[in-house]
Amino acid sequence: MTHLLSIVVAAPVVAAAILLCLPGSARVAVRVVSLLGATLSLAASVAVAWAYDRAAGGLQLVEDYALVPPLGIHLRLAVDGWGVPLLLLTGIIVVTGVLASWSVAKRDKDFFVLLLVLVAGVFGVFVSQDLFVFFLFYEIAVLPMYLLIGIWGASHEVPAAGPFRFAWRRFAVGGKEYAAMKLTLMLLVGSAAILVAMFLLWNEAGARTFDLAVLEGTRFSLTTQHVAFPLLWLGFGSLAGVFPFHTWSPDGHASAPTAVSMLHAGVLMKLGAFGVMRVGMVLLPDAAVVWAPAVGAVAVINILYGALCAAGQTDLKYIVAYSSVSHMGVVMLGAATMTANGWNGAVFQMFAHGIMTGLFFALVGIVYERAHTRTIARMGGFAHPLPAVAAFFTLACLSSLGLPGTAGFVAEFLVFVGAGQGAHAWWVVPGVLGAFVTAVYVLRACKTIFWGPPPTGEFAELADVRGTEWGAPLVLGASLVVFGVWPRFLLDYIDVASVAFLSRFPALP
Amino acid sequence: MTTPALLAVIAVCAPAAAALLLVLAPALRRQGAPAAVACIAASLASLGAALALALGRSPGEPAVRHVVPWLQAGSRTIAEVGVHVDGISAAMLVVVTLVALCVQVFSVAYMRGEARRGFGRYFAYHALFLFSMNLLVVAPNLLQLFVGWELVGLASYLLIGFYFAKPSAARAAVKAFWMTKLADMGILVGLVVLFVSTGSFEWTATPEPAVATAVTLLLFLGVMGKSAQFPLHVWLPDAMEGPTPVSALLHAATMVAAGVFLVVRAHPLFELAPTTGDVMLWVGAVTAAFAAGLALVQTDIKKVLAYSTCSQLGYMVAALGAGSAFAGFFHLGTHACFKALLFLAAGSVIHAVHSNELAEMGGLRRRMPLTAVAFGIGVLSLAGVPGLAGFFSKDLILTELEGRAGWVPWALLLLTAFATAFYMGRVFVLAFLGAPSARAGHAHEAGLAMTGPLIVLAVPSAVAGFFGGGLAAYVGASYEPHFGLTPLLASTLALAGIVAAVLVYGRGREVAFADALRRLDRAGAVDRAWKLLYSSALLWLSGVLGWFDRYVIDGLMNATGFATLEAGSAVRVVQTGRVRDYALAVVAGAILLSLWGVLS
Amino acid sequence: MTLENCILLATLLFAIGVYGLLTRRQAVAMLLCVELMLNASNLVFVAFARHAGGPGQILAMFALAITVAEVAVGLAIVLLLYRRHGHTAVDAASEARE
Repeated sequence: MTHLLSIVVAAPVVAAAILLCLPGSARVAVRVVSLLGATLSLAASVAVAWAYDRAAGGLQLVEDYALVPPLGIHLRLAVDGWGVPLLLLTGIIVVTGVLASWSVAKRDKDFFVLLLVLVAGVFGVFVSQDLFVFFLFYEIAVLPMYLLIGIWGASHEVPAAGPFRFAWRRFAVGGKEYAAMKLTLMLLVGSAAILVAMFLLWNEAGARTFDLAVLEGTRFSLTTQHVAFPLLWLGFGSLAGVFPFHTWSPDGHASAPTAVSMLHAGVLMKLGAFGVMRVGMVLLPDAAVVWAPAVGAVAVINILYGALCAAGQTDLKYIVAYSSVSHMGVVMLGAATMTANGWNGAVFQMFAHGIMTGLFFALVGIVYERAHTRTIARMGGFAHPLPAVAAFFTLACLSSLGLPGTAGFVAEFLVFVGAGQGAHAWWVVPGVLGAFVTAVYVLRACKTIFWGPPPTGEFAELADVRGTEWGAPLVLGASLVVFGVWPRFLLDYIDVASVAFLSRFPALP
Repeated sequence: MTTPALLAVIAVCAPAAAALLLVLAPALRRQGAPAAVACIAASLASLGAALALALGRSPGEPAVRHVVPWLQAGSRTIAEVGVHVDGISAAMLVVVTLVALCVQVFSVAYMRGEARRGFGRYFAYHALFLFSMNLLVVAPNLLQLFVGWELVGLASYLLIGFYFAKPSAARAAVKAFWMTKLADMGILVGLVVLFVSTGSFEWTATPEPAVATAVTLLLFLGVMGKSAQFPLHVWLPDAMEGPTPVSALLHAATMVAAGVFLVVRAHPLFELAPTTGDVMLWVGAVTAAFAAGLALVQTDIKKVLAYSTCSQLGYMVAALGAGSAFAGFFHLGTHACFKALLFLAAGSVIHAVHSNELAEMGGLRRRMPLTAVAFGIGVLSLAGVPGLAGFFSKDLILTELEGRAGWVPWALLLLTAFATAFYMGRVFVLAFLGAPSARAGHAHEAGLAMTGPLIVLAVPSAVAGFFGGGLAAYVGASYEPHFGLTPLLASTLALAGIVAAVLVYGRGREVAFADALRRLDRAGAVDRAWKLLYSSALLWLSGVLGWFDRYVIDGLMNATGFATLEAGSAVRVVQTGRVRDYALAVVAGAILLSLWGVLS
Repeated sequence: MTLENCILLATLLFAIGVYGLLTRRQAVAMLLCVELMLNASNLVFVAFARHAGGPGQILAMFALAITVAEVAVGLAIVLLLYRRHGHTAVDAASEARE
């Protein structure tokens, strides 16, 4: 099979097209078609993992279609060692995300269409080997978010305060439209930076092609590298939640509906980190080495700042959202180490955090649907009516704080080892400290929500997980444990790419 | 795979299989009884494998290793998992599985009143614990030990929080996790430092002395958390919120001793770092004395035992600090037996009286003779009365400490030996002698499920000391009980302590300095310091940063949006919306352009 | 007719168109003035094509086609304006601004 990657990318698009032809009233058909599309992508992703030769490495399953020959733009699909786990992650998250959105009531057909388009964009980014198409898919993945949050999101009050309280006169901070607009604008500013850097590279390479392999073969001048790298770091970094361009994330995730939060925190933020590593660092090794201390220092800020901010939140979704900011810091820290272990850890953390945060948001969605509140102080004793939710939430917490036996541990440990081997060994200490602060806030949330005397009054009759809701906790929970106990499966893919990319860094181990 | 390796794998995997079964088959778990059967069967298999393993080894046999790559990327192996069987792990495996089995059998009776779901959940946690503990014990490298270490921490968290409806239990569980996790940061950093400098996590890794000191100090931070050393001990007394058998198994016999086990295991590394040894010596001695002082005035029988555990762990750590891994390990073994015995006997009393308070007990020796005898053996053994297990191991520690650090730790521990005898005597007098309280009057001995484990544990608590020499040969150390000045002093003090306790409490009096100690206990200075650090530093900082992020960082983004909108409004005046204005602008522009064209 | 005369005529037509566009208030009249301006430019195209060759005539045909389209759209808007306001004074039609 040479069209596996096309199937991965096209399945959601085809499903979306079929949805457009269906009447909106066919609620079951809409869901089944979405689920089939998502499952087909996941199955094809598994087949990709199966077909990828880990010993050989490099780009495999190449497909090439010329799109705009005069500009050298090709639809060139291929997958490398980093792409495989991220394809699997995306497949898992989208299938469980569709299952978790089974109960969407408002304009459900449109919702699923946008969701599938978004997912096609994400898949496209991970497999396109042409920078222009990469960017195109990147935008396809980012833009539907505006509608998904703006239409299906939830608003909440944020009282005006602080030195910039005058801004509240012009827009309602905390509203879903506000969150959607902020997210889109911040990410588009990032995209603008990426676009500039992209054409800079295209121009300098002089080969009239956006082919990543060709660009990789070009040693760009130091000036170009030093201009392009920060643009790519901040451009892609804004999607990865790099401080201080992370503030779209808490509001965006808190406002978004369940499946959108799952996809956004679980997969989309990884696009940013993937972009920084795959495009920024691999294409511009000399600048990356020089900028690495800055990238690492900001990542350290991300880890500690995100964790401490999460500890200060009272809204459950904000806690999870800030924890994403903190955990994406771990990814960026691993990237900044410029070591094989660090890079393996970074990519593994993308996978582990994606699954973990997907599980978190799915469970938060289940709790919110029943309790209609996200303020943890109002909850308590929910483990009595919701034992399964409590169990899976605890599992997500444990992976979040890096307990051995869960995927989170493998990822964080590899990043710490990489940091220790890298040029700035002190990064280990704030990294480890971040894991401790994570333990503080996740376990406190877990205790406040689930432990304590059985709830009374309005919360007395909450129903536990049922029907399609089981999909997300079971699949995601099992993935956390399986890949935590057996990390080798993913590491073999990741490592073959990390080692190959690192060979472009001659001065480093 | 060789037979010993296979047996070790069985010892680890049997409880793992039980735990997995109980997780994957919730229907079975919710039945309650099948969960207990699965868990106990697994423990039995584990104990059988451990015994076969231990008896099949002859002393001095080289270690058997069987490992497979675990954390492997491509061709680079970062860490392996597997089993490492030598005298230490074989002996430890027997102790752990034996105590675990006793505790689980005891639990069947103790937890009978629990709802079915809870009953099943309890045994599922127990299976998880035993798996993790065995994983830790047979670890072939530091990383696998850390994995087991964290997983026993998880089991501890779940079991302390077993009665999660009780806010105090929930708090205690989270606190235990936080405190140990705080300390575990040391191990994590230590692991990284060790790996970066030596490229492996093996027990035989030999880094440079400076690195060894750093690594061992970091590892010892983790030990302080897990083995409840001052000032990280505050979680252990709170952990008594868990069911009493759990306290016996995790928070007395096995899990808290994991820290000691780590140091014994990593002894080659610790030998390279004399500085760490000094730190351990002092921390251990101070913990032992401090915790014994607090144990004197506790009114809750479990709290007395908890502080006593802290104190005894202090002995072990001090022994390790003095460089005698065997003394620490020997005391670990005897302590596991008699402290589990004491906790289970206390559990039996609590089960009968329905209270933890010593004041609610009294005169139980008539109502519960077997328990009284068992508890008495435990008391005498812990106090270090000559001939019983505790005597030998404690005296070995004291002998090892002779002359170290200006005799101060030695003196402290000797004093602690007296205090130990005194507070244990106090508990025995208050609970079993004297006139029964209202509740204690109706107490009665429970069935065989509860008394059986007491009998099984009482035997080694009494006689294990005589096998010290054999154990030493088995683990490759040497030990010859000798009766010099230190043992004489210690046993005199122990007997004096018990006599003093009987004299004081037998007549319903109170020691003179009890009030001062009680004030110290109530003040809970260390606990308060941690609370202050948590609520005033961590939570305060997080609150401030949360506000800062929302209103300053995000505020800046909002201000940018605001400025853009305002600028737009300012420019908007030009757009009048009248067609003729636009037409005029077009014409004017055209005229200007043509003028420019004509003039240039 | 000489080229100069043609250009002169076109300029005159164009100036009339501009004047009308700026002074008239009725949308229909403004539209007619725009037509005058367009025709002036068409005249220039044709004149140059006649005297100097080149593709001017084709461009004039294009311009005519576009003019037709523009008139169709313009008149539709005017019609809507009339229905809404009862007259076609363009100054009143500034709702889109708000």
